[in-house]
Amino acid sequence: MASKEMNENVFMPKEAEILRIEQATPTERRFSLKLRDGATLDYQPGQMLELSLFGYGEIPIGFASSPTRKHGFDVVVRTVGRVSSAINRLEKGQSVWVRGPLGNGFDLKQMRGQDVLIVAGGIGLCPTRSLIQYILDRREEFKRFILFFGAKTPKDHIFPEDIDAWRKSKDVEYHETVDKADPDWKGNVGVITKLFGKTQLSPQTRVVVCGPPIMYKFVMLELEKLHIPPNQIFLDLERRMKCGIGKCGHCQMNEKYVCMDGPVFAYDQIRNLEEAFG
Amino acid sequence: MSEYFLRQEDLPRFLQSLMAAVPVVGPVAKKNHFVFQKLSSPEELRLDYDVSLLPPKKAIFPQTQRLLDFSPNGPKSCIAPREQVLFGVHFYDIKAIDMLDHLFSENVADQNYLANRHATTIVGSSIQKISDRAFWGSVGKNTQPKGHDAFLTKISGGFHFKALTEKGEKLTSHGQFSKASDAQSKEAKQVNEEILGKCPQRLQHSAEQIAQKVRASFKNEKLWDELAEKCFSCGSCNIACSTCYCFDVQDKWNLDQKSGHRTRTWDACLTEDFAKVSLGAGGATENFREKRSHRFRHRVMRKTAYLNDKLGGPACVGCGRCSEGCVPDIADPVKIINKIMES
Ligand code: SF4
Ligand code: SF4
Ligand code: FES
Repeated sequence: MASKEMNENVFMPKEAEILRIEQATPTERRFSLKLRDGATLDYQPGQMLELSLFGYGEIPIGFASSPTRKHGFDVVVRTVGRVSSAINRLEKGQSVWVRGPLGNGFDLKQMRGQDVLIVAGGIGLCPTRSLIQYILDRREEFKRFILFFGAKTPKDHIFPEDIDAWRKSKDVEYHETVDKADPDWKGNVGVITKLFGKTQLSPQTRVVVCGPPIMYKFVMLELEKLHIPPNQIFLDLERRMKCGIGKCGHCQMNEKYVCMDGPVFAYDQIRNLEEAFG
Repeated sequence: MSEYFLRQEDLPRFLQSLMAAVPVVGPVAKKNHFVFQKLSSPEELRLDYDVSLLPPKKAIFPQTQRLLDFSPNGPKSCIAPREQVLFGVHFYDIKAIDMLDHLFSENVADQNYLANRHATTIVGSSIQKISDRAFWGSVGKNTQPKGHDAFLTKISGGFHFKALTEKGEKLTSHGQFSKASDAQSKEAKQVNEEILGKCPQRLQHSAEQIAQKVRASFKNEKLWDELAEKCFSCGSCNIACSTCYCFDVQDKWNLDQKSGHRTRTWDACLTEDFAKVSLGAGGATENFREKRSHRFRHRVMRKTAYLNDKLGGPACVGCGRCSEGCVPDIADPVKIINKIMES
């Protein structure tokens, strides 16, 4: 074994500069990042990275932008613990550290030339935004493109400009709902599965689902009613992660590792896994 | 590679010479237990140990390991392996280290482990005393101990020394080794075969039968509730285990609050927070293995079924450390497996 290879440390992150920060919601901030060494991260929509700040630690996070956008890459950090709080106190021009890309992204081959439906709940919109942008940037490669988005309240809209654009766009059939409206809200109110009543879907449709754990079961029932077979359904799952390289055991779901085998799984691969849906 | 003989009285001088050249880690007595640690004198070595408190994997995969050092100038890798001889490892622990070798190299190779491993020469030794909870004679019979460099067997008048690699062969330059006679080689073989039948505990079924039945019992909630009833989620059964390799990664500051290190520490899937994630403001969490019976089940699945395809057999080597380490005495794989097989 070459000595260089022998000493390569899989935990060594790269330095990234914060190009832009936006306070998306009271607890979520959106970062645009670029590697300090000028290299581009060669990732696929749906893949993840470990984002870190020395002295605090690492957190796993999905790419929230598409590799077709060349400015760098976006991530959305929700303040939930020590690491994310520290990262969310950083300012433009400062550095974070990134390790990745990790895991398997969306199976684009399966989606090209097909109708694609994305069902995103809450911050499930962040990792799926990598695919949404990808499809919009290469629109001619796909047939119909339908997007369902469900948020708790209108204030939880993480990408307001994107949402505005999707509402107007002819490239995406955008449907949205909120669990709880506010006085200004004129759209749908209720759970995300209600949006299935808003449009016709062919059994050929390729479907991507990403949201809070509780959402999956209900969405799967709807898809079953539409006779969309399990191998056309892709789920983007979240688990506790530490290493991101299939060793530390934290992300395990029966015999599968979300960090290596996922985070995107075809439904037929995991529907018999007892630990996939709790 | 060749087989040698070392007289009993020549062992100390061999060790002395070896220790002068390279750190030697071996079993030594500590209170009423045995532990693997760096030898400070040949007399400390206790080849008559039954089982060590913690498995010898810790010489390669330490309980706490620095991965990176960081400072305002950025991070630095801490991979800096030191040559060592790991001496007197029983065959079941050799099997376990071989499993870890495989798991740390598959897919994404982790040099934090592998560099230490490559710098380690492993000398196995025959089992002279058997721990009460051992069942290595009946577990994972299809997986053979491999990956070690030499194996030492206690025979009449001294030790049979079998060199298995170049590294193992080289060790003989440190002692008064003579070629082993056919009779001595035969005796060594017999010693190591006979001991297999002497374990106090036995599994009654093959690894395949066990894997199948355990995996098929996943949804038998009542069974797991009963098995885990007295579990208090301490994680000792993981920490004591020869084959467990889960870890946590944490950052620690140095006193200057500017520099520090990123370390990994052994972790335990039986502990409550192992699969818990924070979801958002207000302390909302999701615990993907909330019930202790589910965590208990996960360990049993990992030891008997989940990793079998990768490893060619179960990820349990029958050392019995978990049985000994569990205060309510519910972690013993023999009892657990036999109960599942009867269910
Ligand atoms: S050692 Fe015993 S009590 Fe502790 S976690 Fe394991 S099974 Fe539970
Ligand atoms: S499960 Fe128990 S007996 Fe098996 S290797 Fe681990 S500690 Fe030893
Ligand atoms: S995050 Fe460590 S095994 Fe998946």
